[in-house]
Amino acid sequence: MLSDTIELMRSLLAILAAKTAFRINRLTGTGGTSLPGVIAQKIDRDILQKLVNNNFPRGIIVVTGTNGKTTTTKMIADILEANAVSYVHNRTGSNMEGGLIASMAMESNIAGKVSAEVGIFEVDEAFVPKICRAIKPDILLVNNLFRDQLDRYGELDRIAKNFRDLIEELDSTQLVLNADDPLVASLGYELENKKKVTYFGIGDYIGPKLAHDRTADSIFDPFTQEKLYYTQQYFSHMGKYRGKSGAFRRPKPDYQANNLKQSGLTIEFNINNSNQLVKLNIPGIFNVYNSMAAYSTIKVALNFEDDLIIKAISGASAAFGRSEVLNYNGREVLLLLIKNPTGLNQVIQTYLLSENDRLLVFIINDNYADGRDISWLWDSALEDLSKYKGKIMVGGSRADDMALRLKYAGKKDVLSEPNEELLLKLILKHTTKRSKIFILPTYTAMLSVRGKIVASDEVLKEYWQ
Amino acid sequence: MRPIKIVHLYPERMSIYGDYGNIIALSKRMEWRGIKNIVENIEAGVSIPKDADLLFIGGGQDKGQVIVAEDLASKAKQIKDFVEAGGPLLAVCGGYQLLGEYFISSEYGQLQGTGLFNVVSKGTSTRMIGNIVVHSEKFGELIGFENHSGSTEYIGKAQPLGVVKRGYGNNPDDKLEGIIYRNAIGTYMHGSFLPKNPRVCDWLIAKAIAKSSQSIQLKTLSNTLENRARASALKRP
Repeated sequence: MLSDTIELMRSLLAILAAKTAFRINRLTGTGGTSLPGVIAQKIDRDILQKLVNNNFPRGIIVVTGTNGKTTTTKMIADILEANAVSYVHNRTGSNMEGGLIASMAMESNIAGKVSAEVGIFEVDEAFVPKICRAIKPDILLVNNLFRDQLDRYGELDRIAKNFRDLIEELDSTQLVLNADDPLVASLGYELENKKKVTYFGIGDYIGPKLAHDRTADSIFDPFTQEKLYYTQQYFSHMGKYRGKSGAFRRPKPDYQANNLKQSGLTIEFNINNSNQLVKLNIPGIFNVYNSMAAYSTIKVALNFEDDLIIKAISGASAAFGRSEVLNYNGREVLLLLIKNPTGLNQVIQTYLLSENDRLLVFIINDNYADGRDISWLWDSALEDLSKYKGKIMVGGSRADDMALRLKYAGKKDVLSEPNEELLLKLILKHTTKRSKIFILPTYTAMLSVRGKIVASDEVLKEYWQ
Repeated sequence: MRPIKIVHLYPERMSIYGDYGNIIALSKRMEWRGIKNIVENIEAGVSIPKDADLLFIGGGQDKGQVIVAEDLASKAKQIKDFVEAGGPLLAVCGGYQLLGEYFISSEYGQLQGTGLFNVVSKGTSTRMIGNIVVHSEKFGELIGFENHSGSTEYIGKAQPLGVVKRGYGNNPDDKLEGIIYRNAIGTYMHGSFLPKNPRVCDWLIAKAIAKSSQSIQLKTLSNTLENRARASALKRP
C-alpha cells in the first residue's frame, strides 16, 4: 500500500518536474526540447510507459524509418484532424525517449491523463526497440531503411536485426511495412500467420532518374545473401524485386500507388487503381511513399473511408524545414533538409533536375545531430548536377568540404562562406526580389538558418505595418 | 595510350560510407591531366582483370564482409602477385582488415584474410569514431574520419602508414595507423580519404601509370580547395 502510494507520487512528481522544466525552458529560452523529458525520466524511470499506456483508447502508432518520419507523422495527424479525431504527437521532431516523454507530459494533466483518442509518435530508428518495448504500440510503421549517419546509427543490417528481435516480442502490434524496400519488407517475411502485416508500395514510376545513384544498400536477399533481381528500381534499393533461389520476393502490397504523374511541384497518383486521385502539393516519389504510409496506417488503425483520407492527404503541406517555402526579403526560399545520401539524391531528382537555374545553397554542418562524418557527401549523386545552370553557394562548418565535393562533381565557381550571417548577406547580393532560391541545409543548419529567415521576415512585416 | 584501369573491388557490398569518393578522386585527377582512365567494378564470383593498373577495396557491413572474405580466398594469390609486381592498391576500413591475415568478427567468428598485409584484426566493443590526423613520413599530414570497432595489430615486419596525432588509428593503444607494403596502403581513414589527401592520390596514380608500363609526367594540379578543406577539417573537434 505504502509502496503504491510512493510509486504514484513518483510519477506525479516526474510529470510536475517536466511541466516546470518546460516553462523554464520557454521563459529563458535555454535547454533542448527533450530536457523536460530527461528530467522526468530521472525521477521515474517508467514514466513513458505510464504516460502512454493509460491513454489513447483508439490506438498508439509508432512511425519510423530513415527518411520521411516527420512528414508521414504530420500526414497522419492531418488525416485525424480532418476527421475530428483527437490525437497527441511529438510535433517538434523530438523523436528520442526524452522528446516523447516531454511531449506527453506537456499534453497530460498532473495525473498523467490526456484526453486525446490516438497517440502518434515519430521515433528515431535507434530508439525504436527501447521505446516500443515500453509503450507496446498498436501499430508499428516502418517506411524505409537507408544508410544514414553511420557514426550515430551503425549499420543497416544491425538496425534491421534489432527490429526483428523486437517484432518477435511484440504480440499485439500490427506491422505496416514498405513492400518496395527489401530490408523493411523482410521484417514481415513469414510473419503473416503470427501477426497482421500490411504492405504498401508503388506500382510503377516513369519520372526522371539519377545517373549516379550510389545508395542502394539492401539489394541482397536478406536470407540467402544472393543479389536480388529487380524488374524496376525507382531509386536507391526501392522497387520491384525478387530473390534468385530463395522464396523471398517483394510482397504484394495491400495498398499500391499507381499512375504517378509529377508536374511542377505537385504529384498525382491513385491508390489500388481507384478513380479517386491523390494530388499532393509536395512533390517527389518519396512523398508518395510518405502518403502511402500514412494512408495504410489509417486504414489499419481506424479504417476510414477513402475519400476522408485522400482529401486530407491532398491538402497536406510540408513539415518543418522539409520542402518548406519561406519568404526572405522578397525572395522565395524553398528549404530542403538533407541528412543522408538518399535524401540528398531525392532532392536532386525531384527539384534540381527540372528547376535548374535558381541560386542553390548547400549548408553543411558536422555537429552531433548532423552526423560528425561528412563522407556521405561523396556517395551522393552530385554528378547529376552537371546541367545545373544556377549559381551555387556553400556554407556551414564544412563549407570547404562541400566546395571540394562539388569541384570533383565538375562544378567550378562555387562561392564559399562558412559564416551563416555573411552567407545570408551573400545570398541577398546575388539575388533580386522575387528570385527563387533553393537552400539545402543539414539538420542543425536548417534550425538556425530557418530561424534567421523567419525572424527577418517578421521584422520586415512589422516595419511595413 | 592505353587507358589506366582502376578496379573497384566489391562496390555493391563494400562501399558503405564515402568509398566512392576515393574512386572519384583517382579518376578525376587523371582526367584533369588528360590521362584516360576507366573504372571496372568487380563483384564476388568475377575474377580481377589481368590488365588492372590499380586496385581499390572499401568497407562494408559485417554480413557483406563474410561473403567478401569467402570470395577473396579465390583472389588472394592474384592480389598478392599484383602488389609484388609493384601494382598500387588502396584498402580502407573493412577492406584493410580483410587483406590482413584474419579478422575475428564478434558476430561471425574468424574470417580468413588474404595475408597481403601483416596485420590481424578483431571486433571489440570500443567504437573508434571521430576526426583523425596522422603524420606520415612519406606523405606528411593525413586527414580523415574513422569509424570502426575492429582493432588491428601488426604481426611480424610491418611499416605503419603513420603516427596518430589525433584519434585512434589501428587500435586504442599504440598510436599507429594503417600500413604500407610495397605500393599497397591499408588504412582506417575515410572522409573520403583521397580527396582530402591529394598527395596520396597522386602517388597512387603515378604507381598505376608505372604499372601500365607507360611513361607520363604528372602535371601539377591546383590544390587550393583541397587545402582549404584540410584546414577546416583540422579545426573541427
